[in-house]
Amino acid sequence: MSDENEFIPNIVYGLCAWCGTGGSETAAAHHLKYPENIKPFRVMCTGALDPVYILRALFEGADGFIVSGCHPGDCHYDTGNYRARRRITALKTILGTLGLDSERVWLRWVGHGEGQRLVDTAFEFNDHIKKLGPNPLKSRRDS
Amino acid sequence: MDDIKWLQGKGKLGIKAFFQDILNKGLIDSVLMPAKNKKGNSYAWFLMNKDGFLETSDPIPPVMTIQGANILKNMTKKGESWSKTAVVLRPCELRAVIELTKLEQINLENIILISFDCPGAYPLTHYISGDQTSFDQKFDSSLYTASFETERNACIACNQFTGQGADIQLCLLGASDDGFMISASSAKGKELLQNVDGAKADNIETQIKKRDELMGKLQKEKDEKRQTILDRFKDTIYGPENLLNVFSACINCHNCRRACPICFCSACYFESKALNSEADNQLNRASRKQGLRMPPDLLLFHVGRMNHMSISCVSCGACEDACPENIPISLMFSLVGRDTQAVFDYKPGHSLEEPIPFVVYKNEEFKESEAHYTKRHQSACNCNTK
Repeated sequence: MSDENEFIPNIVYGLCAWCGTGGSETAAAHHLKYPENIKPFRVMCTGALDPVYILRALFEGADGFIVSGCHPGDCHYDTGNYRARRRITALKTILGTLGLDSERVWLRWVGHGEGQRLVDTAFEFNDHIKKLGPNPLKSRRDS
Repeated sequence: MDDIKWLQGKGKLGIKAFFQDILNKGLIDSVLMPAKNKKGNSYAWFLMNKDGFLETSDPIPPVMTIQGANILKNMTKKGESWSKTAVVLRPCELRAVIELTKLEQINLENIILISFDCPGAYPLTHYISGDQTSFDQKFDSSLYTASFETERNACIACNQFTGQGADIQLCLLGASDDGFMISASSAKGKELLQNVDGAKADNIETQIKKRDELMGKLQKEKDEKRQTILDRFKDTIYGPENLLNVFSACINCHNCRRACPICFCSACYFESKALNSEADNQLNRASRKQGLRMPPDLLLFHVGRMNHMSISCVSCGACEDACPENIPISLMFSLVGRDTQAVFDYKPGHSLEEPIPFVVYKNEEFKESEAHYTKRHQSACNCNTK
């Protein structure tokens, strides 16, 4: 990288087992790269990802958290992604009310074949978090 | 249209006479309400039949010791009640009962919900450590006004002070020592009220009109008050620094969770082994943050709990009564609940028909919480050119 002191964010990428990880497989098949500071994290369904885990990541070291799952209507479990959308809506509302940067959490659907879309999303979110700067909560010792 | 009758009787004595009467007539088999303890400084709930109706029972106690919804949950979680039981609940307790019924924690079969125009309550610790006789007098004198001076945050910021949604409502607002109105809105309530001998009041129409007028005025006042209180509170907690300052006194007792009627999970994540981290984990976190407040995961507990139940928060204030450190936790949940409930356009405890936001989904909704994909990202193009 060009600058040694450049801020490299710590990002967790929650991917559902059916579409999100499928997207990353497609990206791999096309030899597409995404930033190395993004840590993929597989869950069976985005609807199974309790926002408490997102909170825990944000309080304990992550600068951003992004969630990708099946497009609406495509969920392997029918309504898991709708549940995820509602849960993340609630989470972002809470973070907004408390002044804890709701912009550090993103939700974007990525289908199984959309490797390019996954890579674009990873880069876009990485740039977005770089612009926001380090998460003030991760260095709070009293959290 | 609601059925309305007028009952003669002075204040709480009149209300107790009403319960004794319906018990004696066999309209209900038992009644569940708080009664003063022998020492006279607190209240406990009792399930009473007609022979055991306690002299010290108090349908409208000046404190909320145990949230009534917790009592009813305890009683009917494992199955319905087989005999007709009337339960006297504050409006906030009633809302929690409705929430818990939707969450399948309470079975309302054979249960008759009775509520009233609530003046509020004293903070639990104030009442227990103060002079109860003068507290009681002051409270009883505001029985017909549906508001009184208290330092209990949840009551100061309360704007849902009527027993709307109950089977039977005791309409105390605007009543006098002559008597009070009692109204039934559900089939269960109407059936019971049919057999109650109401005194014929010539002026029942004017009574209703008087109450409606008072209520309209009070409602507007309380709505505005709630908004200002919550807005002002938001300024004091906004941002990580302020928020952590508010929570800095927390002693991790989790009393707020235990007292909360909505937090019904028997296997709570925050009590689970998932948060029992080892020395290794805690030392790592401490070295990353240059220090760690112990025990850790303070903010995770509070914000996580908000995330689990703020949508159903009925602003009863049981959490704050239970807090040994007097953290304004009920305002915190009311504030967060106000926003999360608005997003889902949901009023907790308002009606049994309104579905809880996490059981209904639509294909197209909450688009604003998605990050939209518009075009190929420039950095991705630069990195992946071959």
